Amino acid sequence: MKLMVLKYFNLWLAFFKNSLTRDMEFKMNFIGDLLIDSIFYGSMYFFWSVIFSYVDVLGDFNQQAVIIFLIVMYLTDTVFVFFFGANTFTLNTMVVKGELDFVLIKPVNPQFFLSFRYVSSYSIVSFLILFSLLLKLVYDYHGFISIMTFLLFLLSFILGILIFYSIEFIISCLVFWYRNFSVGGWLSSEMTKYSRRPDSIYKGKFRRIVFTIFPMAMITSVPARILIFGPKLDLILSQFLVTIVFLAIATFVWNRGLKLYESASS
Amino acid sequence: MLIGNKYISVLRMNWIQALEYRANALVGVIAILSGLFIEYQIWSLIFETKGYTTIKNFEFDELIIFIFLSIIIGQLKSSWHSSGEMIRSIRTGEINKYLIRPVSYFWYHFMMFIGFNSLYYIVYSIILCAFVFIFPGMIFTTISSLLYFLISLFISIYLSYCIYFIMICFAFWFGEVRSLVVSYNLAMLILSGQYIPIRFFPEKILNIINWTPIRYLVDFPVSIATGILPAEERIPGLIASVMWSIILTIIGTIIYRLGIKDYEAYGS
Repeated sequence: MKLMVLKYFNLWLAFFKNSLTRDMEFKMNFIGDLLIDSIFYGSMYFFWSVIFSYVDVLGDFNQQAVIIFLIVMYLTDTVFVFFFGANTFTLNTMVVKGELDFVLIKPVNPQFFLSFRYVSSYSIVSFLILFSLLLKLVYDYHGFISIMTFLLFLLSFILGILIFYSIEFIISCLVFWYRNFSVGGWLSSEMTKYSRRPDSIYKGKFRRIVFTIFPMAMITSVPARILIFGPKLDLILSQFLVTIVFLAIATFVWNRGLKLYESASS
Repeated sequence: MLIGNKYISVLRMNWIQALEYRANALVGVIAILSGLFIEYQIWSLIFETKGYTTIKNFEFDELIIFIFLSIIIGQLKSSWHSSGEMIRSIRTGEINKYLIRPVSYFWYHFMMFIGFNSLYYIVYSIILCAFVFIFPGMIFTTISSLLYFLISLFISIYLSYCIYFIMICFAFWFGEVRSLVVSYNLAMLILSGQYIPIRFFPEKILNIINWTPIRYLVDFPVSIATGILPAEERIPGLIASVMWSIILTIIGTIIYRLGIKDYEAYGS
């Protein structure tokens, strides 16, 4: 087990070095991707600043809390893009062109290879800026930073990213059923849009849904809540459970999809 | 007549292609409904919390209908597919085939843009028709408002295409302008008023937007459809949007010509 973990960790390091070399060859893309991130962050900030010019609080989130939520959301997006962003939807092209064959014959877990093959190294820059900003905002909000709270936040943050990954991976696997599912990325971004709003805007039954079977609140809202309102064990436990279930579903869908794969045009 | 025929063939070709990907329209409808649902949740909470009856002269129902239409128009004017194709053709040298043929690169891709989006036009028209019958009196209260809406919608699509074309032409110098187009798309989701009416923006930003073509992309057609724009402001608005179309077409043509002079067909 230990050897296997080491093997996959070394493999990921090799992927990272290779991706970094590629990214450094196309420096304009590197800068361009940073531009996209900053526009995305800016437009979301503008959206909420307009909303907060008409209201003081949204449920239990005031403007300061929403800004912390936004930073957590940007961080989630950045870390997700770093590990998985360039990978999940390459599956569509691979299935359409039959290139998936070359992944399946490699002596590694194909789901691991597909999910981690390309690392978006530019995200490191965004991550460092956002993480420093988050520390400052949390300190300003509470007047101190609790190490315990921060460790629980990190755990919840990782679980949120794994849920995000599972949902994207499940949607990308739909290509096995539809033969060409090029709109997978669009569909996924529409689905995960629910995670980009604080959970306090959702009411009634739908609120229960975003914490369970459609766990969008688990991606960003739960980690943000830990930082803003302090840790809640029941939330972290349910997030852990949801993560396990969704990772299992992702692997199940992948294995079922592989059985349908006919090596399209290879 | 012959010139028109060749571009209509491009339109037809892309229309047939678009019909093969019917899932796109389904995802488009999901995108509209889910976007609307989220906005509904936010604004209902704001109206409830503050006890507002109107915000900037919008009652809650009017605001939701305005956002609903804005999301639809926002999708119709956006071009992820066609702009991606155009950037790739410049980068890989595929554009050469347009240079040696008697077709205009601008109009060829405009027809491609319309053709590719044609499935959305049909599906969203059906949604709008159903809306008019289910909720009579909410949009298109007069025949003239429908007519003005259709004209302003066409101008919005053309204006949007011109802006994309100008950005894409920078690929002649920079090779890859995907980031520029994606950044523009992300910014326009908010700035064009797709999720919040631009009337809700701070005065300073609204004043800047009023001096740009952004106002005519989403807000202008939607304001006509919902009857928010006074009838006497329709014609001046249409004239201004046509002026912007002419200006952007001229800028696009100049940048394209300069770009072609610098173009070295690297990839071909």
